[in-house]
Amino acid sequence: MATPESLRARLLRIEGLPINAVLLILVAVFMLVAPEVFLSYRIYMSFLANVPPLLVLAAGLTLLIAAGEIDLSFPSIVALSGWVLGYCIHDLHAPWLGLVLALAAGALVGFLNGVLVARVGIPSIIATLATQFLWGGLTTVLSQGLSYSLSDVDELFVWTLFVGRIGPLPVQCLWALGVAICLWFVLNRRRFGEHLLFIGDNVKVAEIVGVNPKREKTRAFVLMGVLAAFASVLLTLENQNFFNTQGGGYLLEVMAAVFIGGTSVFGGKASVVGTVAGSFIIVMVEAGIVATGLQGFWVRAVVGVVFLAAVVGHLFIQGPQKATTRRRLLHGKLGLNKGGEP
Amino acid sequence: MPDSTAVLTRDEAAFRHIVRLERVDMTFGRVQSLSQVDFEVGRNEIVGLIGDNGAGKSTLIKIISGVLRPTAGTVWVRDKRVDPSSYSVRLAHDLRIETVHQGLSLGEQQPLWRNLFVGRQIVGRFGFIDVKQEKAIANQLLRQAIGFRSQGITADSTVRDLSGGERQGIAIARAMHFEADLIVLDEPTTALAVNEVRKVLAFVEGVKTGGRACIYIEHNLAHVHEVADRLVILDRGRVVRNLKKGEVSLAELTNQMIALHEGNADGHA
Amino acid sequence: MKRLLSIAASGALALTASTTVHAEDKLGAGITMYFQMGGNPGDGATLPRTNGARAAAAAFGLSLKEQYSGWQPETMLSQFREALAASPGCIEIMGHPGSDAFASLVADAEKRNIIITSGNSPLTKLKDQYSASGFGYAGVDLYEGGKLTAQKMIEYGGLKKGDQALEYGLRAQAERGKSDQGLYDTLVAAGLKVDYIEISPEVDHDSSLAVPIITAYLLKHPNLKAIGTQHGNVTAFIGKALKDAGRKPGEVTVGGIDLSPSTIDGLKKGYISVSLDQQLYLQGFLPVVQCVLSKKYGLTGLTINTGAGVVTPKSIGALVPLIDKGIR
Repeated sequence: MATPESLRARLLRIEGLPINAVLLILVAVFMLVAPEVFLSYRIYMSFLANVPPLLVLAAGLTLLIAAGEIDLSFPSIVALSGWVLGYCIHDLHAPWLGLVLALAAGALVGFLNGVLVARVGIPSIIATLATQFLWGGLTTVLSQGLSYSLSDVDELFVWTLFVGRIGPLPVQCLWALGVAICLWFVLNRRRFGEHLLFIGDNVKVAEIVGVNPKREKTRAFVLMGVLAAFASVLLTLENQNFFNTQGGGYLLEVMAAVFIGGTSVFGGKASVVGTVAGSFIIVMVEAGIVATGLQGFWVRAVVGVVFLAAVVGHLFIQGPQKATTRRRLLHGKLGLNKGGEP
Repeated sequence: MPDSTAVLTRDEAAFRHIVRLERVDMTFGRVQSLSQVDFEVGRNEIVGLIGDNGAGKSTLIKIISGVLRPTAGTVWVRDKRVDPSSYSVRLAHDLRIETVHQGLSLGEQQPLWRNLFVGRQIVGRFGFIDVKQEKAIANQLLRQAIGFRSQGITADSTVRDLSGGERQGIAIARAMHFEADLIVLDEPTTALAVNEVRKVLAFVEGVKTGGRACIYIEHNLAHVHEVADRLVILDRGRVVRNLKKGEVSLAELTNQMIALHEGNADGHA
Repeated sequence: MKRLLSIAASGALALTASTTVHAEDKLGAGITMYFQMGGNPGDGATLPRTNGARAAAAAFGLSLKEQYSGWQPETMLSQFREALAASPGCIEIMGHPGSDAFASLVADAEKRNIIITSGNSPLTKLKDQYSASGFGYAGVDLYEGGKLTAQKMIEYGGLKKGDQALEYGLRAQAERGKSDQGLYDTLVAAGLKVDYIEISPEVDHDSSLAVPIITAYLLKHPNLKAIGTQHGNVTAFIGKALKDAGRKPGEVTVGGIDLSPSTIDGLKKGYISVSLDQQLYLQGFLPVVQCVLSKKYGLTGLTINTGAGVVTPKSIGALVPLIDKGIR
């Protein structure tokens, strides 16, 4: 029943092409309507300073979603790791220790998430919702509700290394790009990544072909924890501040970036390239709309339209067998398909 | 014909049964899937495994292929006891046991090349998967695989784009490629056309002539009666009959199966 | 071991006895007060209030029960009912749900001789009705606060008729929006051309997300003379946006609110021109005072405007140590 490889099919196999096309069209539209903003390098430098935390979070989440899980606790990891880093810089004057401990904190939270989901068996949406409250609350206790001003941190090498400027270019965008590239390789060229895809596709099939779902899921959660901590490092250093509520505004935006990029919410199909494009779209849209002079109240509605259009577009692109396939996929997830049963 | 014993050590070459289950039980919660099952396959033997739905055939082969751990009993591979806690799908593959499961053994959204090699990817330097080589081999296998009628399917095609027969063909091609000493086939002909079924039966016979073993599960009694050296009948988790080739005609076999089925029908609450 | 325990026990007894004696001396001894703090424990707009209330409670020997509603009006109402059920001496509430929503509940409380007072956001109708029984108000008039901010922006920034300005706020929210409205109206009244953008929920939470937006606006409007907001965290990031857009300190007059660390920084560097100081500490301290005085001596409710001034680059220096302690 397969059709011959048409030009359309071959184009669509270039990963992330459709969503990157959307991104470029969006930029072109903004350039037309607001040339004084979008033809200057300044706004892009502003984007490049603000996209990295979002991008690192979204790229990490992409791998988890590929495995059919979700993590709602990453905003709290951003808060907790930010506190660890902020405290070490502000009170202990030990920025490198802070960096190491912040990443370790993220790994720890991630590991706990992994244990709750993979070993105890709590659905990830519930487990990570609970840990979101737990770690967020703990951060408030640890910080005593105070935010830390780290205004002198830009004199330290740790600042220059992670969020310094090469000319006008914010260095964190290079770090974020590096992370994205590494994660692309992990997902597409490493056994770990393939295992995650199979687990997300159908966990019973994964077991049959020799994958250990418990171990791999735990690893994926730990990875997400470390990446969330790294995103927090970039955010905290860039802001030169620790806010004890930081991270909370990223929850919906990160998820939007992932799904706009074409990763399937069912698992088994994911694109890091798409997530990168999705992250830029999310950050650009609001700024672009403001620049076009459109009433600010329209922004969320436009983001909604872009989101829906992207998701529908991805479904449409996949071809005519979608509905039955989707049902079959869903049944596979619930273990209702024949053949996998004892 | 290459001498299959030449690649094995003297110890390994001297085994009687490629796999043997001794007094194996399998319980899932309150359901006893297998009870006190004794089951063995000789080194160069085709064993047909037949039984009603729910008799426990799939459970049995999941134990052999490393997916499930038996609740009780022992498993022997090449006459050596297998440690149940370390036995896994990967170990089964290393011990050259390949399985074509009924239905679900392919990732629907994954491309064919990935399905072919998952769990035993070809890795190059630093542990990166050599996708180019995997695709090349996959394309090669596709040309020889059973069940591929339509044009345009390549190693990059997604499983979801394939018909039932083509999917089965891929699963079989995967098992064939990794050249096992024991190949387990669970209902390999369900989605296939007549000429494709012939190919599967020819493949099974080829396993025998190649000096290797096969477990063959089939609903179609005619097929299995034709190729099996021995027939094992499973009923409600127990081995009820162990028949050698020629011991029973197809007609008698059919009657016995019907009797068993009706016995089940009466016995069920 | 036994000897050690008995020494410890008698020591503890003596200590308790002495503190008990002290507590009985204090004016607020024996009074329990439920106090609505407003946001979430520890956040910038709540912490100084919490510290003020705790300090007053300790000074008066009053038992303080803190309530946090995340600024949600419905939560404030249900927390009031919880407080009522405990029959305390006093309850402090905020005006977010509105006088009408509170009316019957407050009537019930007054009948049971519970002192009700308010802070942060006014309940004018109820206050007038019950001021004789101790209903006071310690807070900023939100509209007036916005107005004051705008007035100081005009004064310090030398803003003139016809200048372009941006108000970035939460006008869509009934209560909080009043301060933005005050700012906006005052700038308009002074003849400026004022544009308005609504703060999205994401920016409300993680205000660093505002930076590309404000940067884009600045690049689009090179003649912009003023930016005003009444959102504490957003105030902190306007300086960054100005930097990203290549503007120098003082080129754009910026008016904001509260004194978060980045805002202090912005004031010091001159990016922020004025910031409204709500003196949140007073919003915590004064209602406790109100409670004690009304409960003990039947004194009437007092209305105190805590937001009487703005902080500028000149006045910020003296305040920094207090801010670090969570008092200012």
